[in-house]
Amino acid sequence: MIIETLIAVTLVGALVTFLAPNRIAGKLAFAISLIPAAVSLWMFTAFDGSGNALLEGTLAFESRFEWITLGEYTISWFVGLDGISLPLVVLTTVLTSLAIVSSWTPIDDREAQFYGLVLFIEANLIGVFVALDFFLWFIFWEAVLIPMYLLIGVWGGPRRKYAAIKFFVYTNVASLVMFGAFIALVVGLGDAVTSFALPEITEAMLDGGPGEFAGIAGTTLTSVVFVAMFVGFAVKVPVVPFHTWLPDAHVEAPTPASVLLAGVLLKMGTYALLRFNFTMFPSDVVSTFAIPIAAIAVISVIYGAMLALAQTDLKRIVAYSSVSSMGYVILGLIAYTQYGVGGATFQMVSHGLISGLMFMAVGVIYNATHTRMVTDMSGMADKMPVAVGILIAGAFGYMGLPLMSGFAAEYFIFFGAFGSEMLEYAPIFTALAMFGIVIVAGYLLFAMQRTLFGPYRLETDYEVTRAPFHDVAPMFVLLGLIIALGVAPELIFDMIRDAVDPILGGEL
Amino acid sequence: MATAFEFAPAIALFPLAAFVIALAFGKYMPKKGALAGIAATAASLVFSLWAFVTVAGGETYHETLYEWAVGDPTSEAGVQGIEFTFGILLDPLSTLMLVIVSLIALLVHVFSLGYMNAEGETGLPRYYAELGLFTFSMLAFVFADNLLMAFMFFELVGLCSYLLIGFWFRTESAPSAAKKAFLVTRFGDYFFLLGVVAIAATFGTLQFAGPESFVDAAADAIDGEETLFGFGAETWVTITGLLVLGGVIGKSAQFPLHTWLPDAMEGPTTVSALIHAATMVAAGVYLVARMFGYYALSPTALAIIAFVGGFTALFAATMGVVKDDIKQVLAYSTISQYGYMMLGLGVGGYVAGVFHLMNHAFFKALLFLGAGAVIILMHHEQDMWKMGGLKDKAPVTYYTFLAGALALAGIIPFSGFWSKDEILYDAFVLGLEDPVFGVAYAMALLAVFFTGLYTFRMVILTFHGEPRSEAAADPHPVGPSVTFPLATLGVLALVAGVANLAPIAKLTGMDITYLEFWLDGEYGVVDGLTYTAYTETIGYPAGEIVSEQATLLIAAGLGLGLAVAGALTAYVLYSGPEPVRHTEKLGSVYGVLRNNYYQDEYQVWLARNLTLPVARGADRFDQGVIDGVVNGVSSVSLFGGGGVKRLQTGVVTNYAALIMLGFLALLLVFGLHGGWFL
Repeated sequence: MIIETLIAVTLVGALVTFLAPNRIAGKLAFAISLIPAAVSLWMFTAFDGSGNALLEGTLAFESRFEWITLGEYTISWFVGLDGISLPLVVLTTVLTSLAIVSSWTPIDDREAQFYGLVLFIEANLIGVFVALDFFLWFIFWEAVLIPMYLLIGVWGGPRRKYAAIKFFVYTNVASLVMFGAFIALVVGLGDAVTSFALPEITEAMLDGGPGEFAGIAGTTLTSVVFVAMFVGFAVKVPVVPFHTWLPDAHVEAPTPASVLLAGVLLKMGTYALLRFNFTMFPSDVVSTFAIPIAAIAVISVIYGAMLALAQTDLKRIVAYSSVSSMGYVILGLIAYTQYGVGGATFQMVSHGLISGLMFMAVGVIYNATHTRMVTDMSGMADKMPVAVGILIAGAFGYMGLPLMSGFAAEYFIFFGAFGSEMLEYAPIFTALAMFGIVIVAGYLLFAMQRTLFGPYRLETDYEVTRAPFHDVAPMFVLLGLIIALGVAPELIFDMIRDAVDPILGGEL
Repeated sequence: MATAFEFAPAIALFPLAAFVIALAFGKYMPKKGALAGIAATAASLVFSLWAFVTVAGGETYHETLYEWAVGDPTSEAGVQGIEFTFGILLDPLSTLMLVIVSLIALLVHVFSLGYMNAEGETGLPRYYAELGLFTFSMLAFVFADNLLMAFMFFELVGLCSYLLIGFWFRTESAPSAAKKAFLVTRFGDYFFLLGVVAIAATFGTLQFAGPESFVDAAADAIDGEETLFGFGAETWVTITGLLVLGGVIGKSAQFPLHTWLPDAMEGPTTVSALIHAATMVAAGVYLVARMFGYYALSPTALAIIAFVGGFTALFAATMGVVKDDIKQVLAYSTISQYGYMMLGLGVGGYVAGVFHLMNHAFFKALLFLGAGAVIILMHHEQDMWKMGGLKDKAPVTYYTFLAGALALAGIIPFSGFWSKDEILYDAFVLGLEDPVFGVAYAMALLAVFFTGLYTFRMVILTFHGEPRSEAAADPHPVGPSVTFPLATLGVLALVAGVANLAPIAKLTGMDITYLEFWLDGEYGVVDGLTYTAYTETIGYPAGEIVSEQATLLIAAGLGLGLAVAGALTAYVLYSGPEPVRHTEKLGSVYGVLRNNYYQDEYQVWLARNLTLPVARGADRFDQGVIDGVVNGVSSVSLFGGGGVKRLQTGVVTNYAALIMLGFLALLLVFGLHGGWFL
């Protein structure tokens, strides 16, 4: 029942905060958010699962009740954790708590509603990562969109409405594509499945797959569904060419929404890709699409990085760099090796921490200067030494500096991809994608040189002072986690590997 | 009884502790963190020496200490089960380098008391923290027992260089130079990382030494005529070896990735001393020596190393002749000298290359610290044309600087002569047999003349003649924290050559080539990492003229003769009370040299006029085409043009209602498919 408690506490907390007076909402939300953070950290230490949740693994904190029976299908409340989902749950709870603290300075309007929505997102994000019934999972999946839409649309920048609608419509249409495809698949599987439980569907898929459905051969159906679901999730990730909602959403979103959007919401897409496309479908289906997917990965990395290079808005730089970083995840997944898929999962967590840190750091500078334009300022290091120091550390984390988590993630992915047997020309794809590590250094170093160093200059009329403690404290926490995972990746890589192995057909 | 090896990790951890202390408490400490750094590097030096002595006693150490990431060999066969670890390898090469690095780091810390503290710098805790982190990274890189660990600390060395080059971040030029240093070396490190990944994916191990090493695995693959990744084993070893070499070329500032190093002079001079003598730049060549067994398997890779080295030696030396800034001259001399080391290693002269690495560490640290002393004397003037006449006013600086200059130019009996002569001799005897190496040798030999020329041009302009500015006439005094490191290094620059008097040994038959014995495992050794083993693997022929002794004398005579000729040329051209700029008489050649062969121009062009417009074009394409399609599709097919406008009412509750409706519609679709309502 621990997972139910986790979600329920967060939901109730969201409601309480929603109704609380604005004055105390921020502190209250932070206090409440410490409960799920503490619970998830306890779960992390008490984790006793093994194997993959979808592939007959032993689930931790499993809980399953029949919920609705409709015709031949059963829908259950079915939740549990394996080595892939647990780190993401911890990432969600920790990052939410820190995002709430980072909101104290910038959010000064309708605080109760703001913090209530943040906690509501958190509850649904946890749901996405713990749900093991498709129906249940889909509810959480869709429910995440609503509060995020509102956070951008209400508390966002000047073009918030355009950005919010674009974000919502784009990702929702993608969900619809994915949803339709999945239902077709389940129907195609016929008598082999009697519920929407993901392990059961996975078993049926690996045990022969769908038969003929509506005049379409089973193998064709499988391929069509694979592509439709890939596209559906690809929008969420996002990969090129489905990425254009992301920079708009980030630029308009308030800092804490950006932290959650980049930190966790993007990982919903890669998590779903891993759970559905790369776990449910047999390896021969995946391998059919290996080269196009690897090409998409490489294009996302390089093209995303090139776009980041062209930006002059600090937040757009970080936003586009997320496209680039998520490309590595796709490359790791399609490598279909222990280090590749494990590294991709590791990168989800690592990028969540690092991009969260970067958005916070940019937010702190924005709080002080009221501009994010590279051309508007220089020499910030003089005025905000601590915040700038953390920003520099975060930027080097983004560049993949060893002993920080980004290096571990990227190295695992590169190593896993280089020796991939599924992917033809794997060394060439790897070499191409790796060039991203040079471009990322280019745009971050350029941006840092122009904004942080040199003589102090600011185009806006604000008195820049040192950031308050509660602005920098969450960044210190994130930096600590990034370094901890970089020095000791086994903290989570151990359980990730354990959950990834069964996907690759390994026997224990 | 505890042994030295049990404390091996402490060698690197002391400076790491100094980093933390200086960063956290530096501003409350009397010397702003300097004392923590001095104590830490002194402790590192003591423990390094202890390890060195222990190795001399016949023991070596090779242990895996920490599992960074563990593959699962039971679930997946092949290289995916690899373990990535941190371990320590203490053998003759690494302990020698540990001593050099910790000694130079200690002297740089001491010197900094006079150079930074006494000059009233701000940001000193940051300076000493970064210095500590730098030393930590380099020491950990040196004793790394595998290629991934080496790469990781190699990158951290790059980070510290970035931070320290950009120490004066309030200026325009220092942050720019720092960025360039990191970016150019990152470009090299891209190839290095690709090489690490390729070697790990091929051989399933990244160990430098022992039966599980990738070197042994590669040798076996070549013997077994295996096909690796579609290539013959030897070709694949060449490819991967050259990929790793990319990192070396970046860090050791070899052509064409040398352009960051002269700009890096924007950092404090003490930092330059550390970067050039013992850390950043030395890391590249040290890596080649560390995995020399791997390069020994590939004659092609070695030939490329030799050729790059020979070319860089000459190329950089010619540019050094026309510089006016004392630090710029030294910067180009560093590039040139590392070219010699590369040449030495490339022709199979493992001992010669390492010997020069050691000697260079001493005399280049000496010259940079000497230049630092000159800059103090000159009230922060670096233009040599404004100096002159410092000889009598600052005798300690002058004579130590002169010792460094004689070593750099390769004048007998100073240390640089012995090691450079050994490199040239190794290249010469191979060049007699193989014209490719002959060309590399010829370039390096010609560079000897230019080295003598620019070195003594620098010495004469700085110290001789009459003062050419007020500052030179009335220099600022320097204290003991400046002169003590200079004196220490000055002695080393004079006598360090005694470590390996190879020519004398060959002529007289005396057993005095101690460094060769050291690296060849006369004392302690790790199997396979010996000079003899490498030489057997490479199997280069050695040519001779008449006899070995005669060949030796010819090679040494040529080198020494050209060095003296260069020095004398400088003396003739620049001595006297009013030296004249002769370089401008070179006409268009002067322009080319002055502009560094336009190497910076084309690299800046690549970044600014190629990459950036491409990025901007991609951005326009993204905004116009990709996003245009998205917006077009949404307005046409989803809602109709007017629909979108009506949707954008701006009232949030409307949106919320719309979202709920959409969600319900989805549930309805799902319900219909699922057959709820049937």
